[in-house]
Amino acid sequence: MANELSTTINEITQYIVIRIGEEQYGIDIKYIDNIVRMQQITRVPQVPAHFKGVINLRGEVIPVMSIRIKMGLAPDVETKDTRIIIIKVDKYEPIGMMVDMVKEVVNLSSAEVERVGFDRGDDKAAFAMGIGKHETGLVTLLDIDAVLQGL
Amino acid sequence: MDVSQYLDIFLDESKEHLQNLNTSVLNLEQDPENPDTISEIFRAAHTLKGMAGTMGYKRMQTLTHDMENVFSEVRDGKLKVNAGMIDVLFRCLDAIEEYVSVISETADEGDNDNEPIIKELNDILAGKSAEPAEEKAEPAKEAAAKADAAGGASGFKWNINELTDEERKALEDAMMSNKKLYNVTVSVQESCLLKAARAFLVFKAIEERGEIVAAHPSTQDIEDEKFELDFSLIIASEGKLEPILNDIKAVSEIADAKGCVLDAEQASPEAEAEKEPAVSAEAPAEDEKAAKAEPGTSVAPVKNEVVKKKPEPAASNASAKTEKKGTSKPAVNRTVRVDIEKLDSLMNLVSELIIAKNSLVSSATSDASGSSSGLHEQIEYLESVTTNLHESVMKVRMVPIESVVSKFPRMIRDISKQLGKPMELYMSGEETELDRTVVDEIGDPLMHMLRNSADHGLEMPQERIAKGKPESGSIFLDAYQDGNNVVIEVRDDGNGIDVDRVRQKAIERGIMTEEQAYAADDSDIINLLFMPSFSTAKQVSDLSGRGVGLDVVKSKIEALSGEVDVKTKLGEGTTFSIRLPLTLAIIQALMVVVGGEKYAIALSGIQTIENISPRDVKTVESKEVINLRGTVIPILRLDEILGCTSQRDPDSDMIVVIAKKGDKQAGLVVDQLIGQQEIVIKSMGKYINKCKFISGATILGDGEVALIIDSNALI
Repeated sequence: MANELSTTINEITQYIVIRIGEEQYGIDIKYIDNIVRMQQITRVPQVPAHFKGVINLRGEVIPVMSIRIKMGLAPDVETKDTRIIIIKVDKYEPIGMMVDMVKEVVNLSSAEVERVGFDRGDDKAAFAMGIGKHETGLVTLLDIDAVLQGL
Repeated sequence: MDVSQYLDIFLDESKEHLQNLNTSVLNLEQDPENPDTISEIFRAAHTLKGMAGTMGYKRMQTLTHDMENVFSEVRDGKLKVNAGMIDVLFRCLDAIEEYVSVISETADEGDNDNEPIIKELNDILAGKSAEPAEEKAEPAKEAAAKADAAGGASGFKWNINELTDEERKALEDAMMSNKKLYNVTVSVQESCLLKAARAFLVFKAIEERGEIVAAHPSTQDIEDEKFELDFSLIIASEGKLEPILNDIKAVSEIADAKGCVLDAEQASPEAEAEKEPAVSAEAPAEDEKAAKAEPGTSVAPVKNEVVKKKPEPAASNASAKTEKKGTSKPAVNRTVRVDIEKLDSLMNLVSELIIAKNSLVSSATSDASGSSSGLHEQIEYLESVTTNLHESVMKVRMVPIESVVSKFPRMIRDISKQLGKPMELYMSGEETELDRTVVDEIGDPLMHMLRNSADHGLEMPQERIAKGKPESGSIFLDAYQDGNNVVIEVRDDGNGIDVDRVRQKAIERGIMTEEQAYAADDSDIINLLFMPSFSTAKQVSDLSGRGVGLDVVKSKIEALSGEVDVKTKLGEGTTFSIRLPLTLAIIQALMVVVGGEKYAIALSGIQTIENISPRDVKTVESKEVINLRGTVIPILRLDEILGCTSQRDPDSDMIVVIAKKGDKQAGLVVDQLIGQQEIVIKSMGKYINKCKFISGATILGDGEVALIIDSNALI
């Protein structure tokens, strides 16, 4: 039992820290296929507003979503820091996620992650699965499954 | 011995032979005396039996063996084909088909002995006049082999005239060097698994004593195992025949080897006709006859013929004969079986190449200012090469729809018996080709539509006679290519769709209110038939009318980017037509600009492009229409539909792309035309395909993504 506990504690996960609005979010690196600079997005008519359109990723046509709109924030404003994170999870088709900025990669051990009960009614909170405590501040860890499920 | 590696081939070939048998038996039913059909059936049955035996499927072998017996009798004229026999044969084919399908699932033939069918087959055999069945029913090969033994060389399947030039040359050389020529036929045991390997050992054994001058089938074919149970060789040797034959027989799994001295006369065409006496005359003289073969004999000796290559009457006669032989044999296409995945990857590479070419084209046009004309020439060249490459790859993937439709005559025959409705199926255009993936998918929808026609479309015979129609109903299956599409029509001369009954039904089912139903026009009502669980059959039959059907047909066809259309006339019949794209991956498209965004419209859906003055747009029932050369065509403003804003001066002439779908038309208003381009269709994934009139996306030369507008969905 004690053994089991200690391995859980020592488990280290890498997260990519991104900025959306004023807040920092972390995405488990295993979901991330690629991070690309902002490029021309082709708008697709008659799709929900959180779909920005499609991009050409090395010959593949990949849809791009706006996590800001999905979270109920103001629409994205493109800057030189805007990036598209390409997420590939076995269960889902690949999708790009627009974020305001990609900051860094952090290692968080499970001890540094706090699973908190979130108010599921809140759009922002619906996608969080925990809070990571890091030297640069608190990082909300995104529940990618929850994000993709609602698409 | 592990035969699993041959399983795929076995299954493929069995299916082919079964199909063949089905077709032939159907032909036989129409024309019971046709000797070609009978021997065709016999051959196919025999091959099936051999294959099943090789693979160790005893039950299947027994069944095919008994079927073959019946045919052996029919072929020998000892049995007459009758309706009862045809039925038994069909049941027999079904049973074999079941074996094959069980084998394909489990690699085992299952444990159904199909005794009733075997009994019926034997009853047929027993029912005939004299002779015991078993003995007569020996497979053709063995009979031929016996004939061989009796008549010496008479059973050889080929004569010298079929030799290639090299073989003639080799023969000639061998004669010059005073070697003797022997004609040898080797048969392998029926149970032999690695025939090619045995043949190889035979070759080796022979080469120790002489040399193989010619072979039938060719040595290549023998090595590739393209022979049934025997092959014939011409061997040149200095030694005698006996030891060679003994060496051959020493190879294991070789059933027998027979041979004789090949002399000039036997090889020449006239000798073929009168070879019996010739052989008996020459046979005892084993010595130098062959080499000598003086021109004194009554027939032109092979030596002369070969050496001089004179256009003697004998030779021309011979060539005529060969030609005749050639036509009676079915021409075999040289084919290679290729895994469809390999073709897919080839296709993907071609797609990439086309994208790369498009980007070259666009960068060349963007800095066209003063760059060399040579570049343009090269790019044009590249363009023609990629187009040709694309076409050839497409063609490789194309297969005739025959493989799918050839099973339908049999199906219609069965339905006809089952329902007691006489009917005929007339097919045309079986050679029409479609992409392999499409062909694999259209079988079920077509089958369903045919059943639908047979079951619901055609009336019962009394009813037909009462209406003054021929008693026997007709169903037509026509396929033809129409531009970039292939159209397959299923037509019947039955009663047609009773639109009012469908209307009634729609009201009963609560699908439409009474008002809606009477307001809707006939074509809308007919389209209801494609809704899930909408069946108008008064009586649910075994065949159709269970409410799963036309909706499945429609969804399947639409999944293949095709469309289904129905035309019907009450009392006269119904036509279902399926329109399918020739290819799924790469299409010719018109590139347009709407509100600053680029879109592609498939060229196949476009009729013309017109410049229309805004003043010519009229409003009818709050819809905008234009009058184009006497036809009123509704116009659709793409900017509104796509949710963007046109950047064109509203007072200037509009560019209207006239799109057609069947006999409906619509004008799509665009801002600007870019031109025609070959585009590679890419899927956009599940998240974003909710938009009905966007059928996919494509990547342009500059890397930008453009959406493809499905004009059919807009009309």
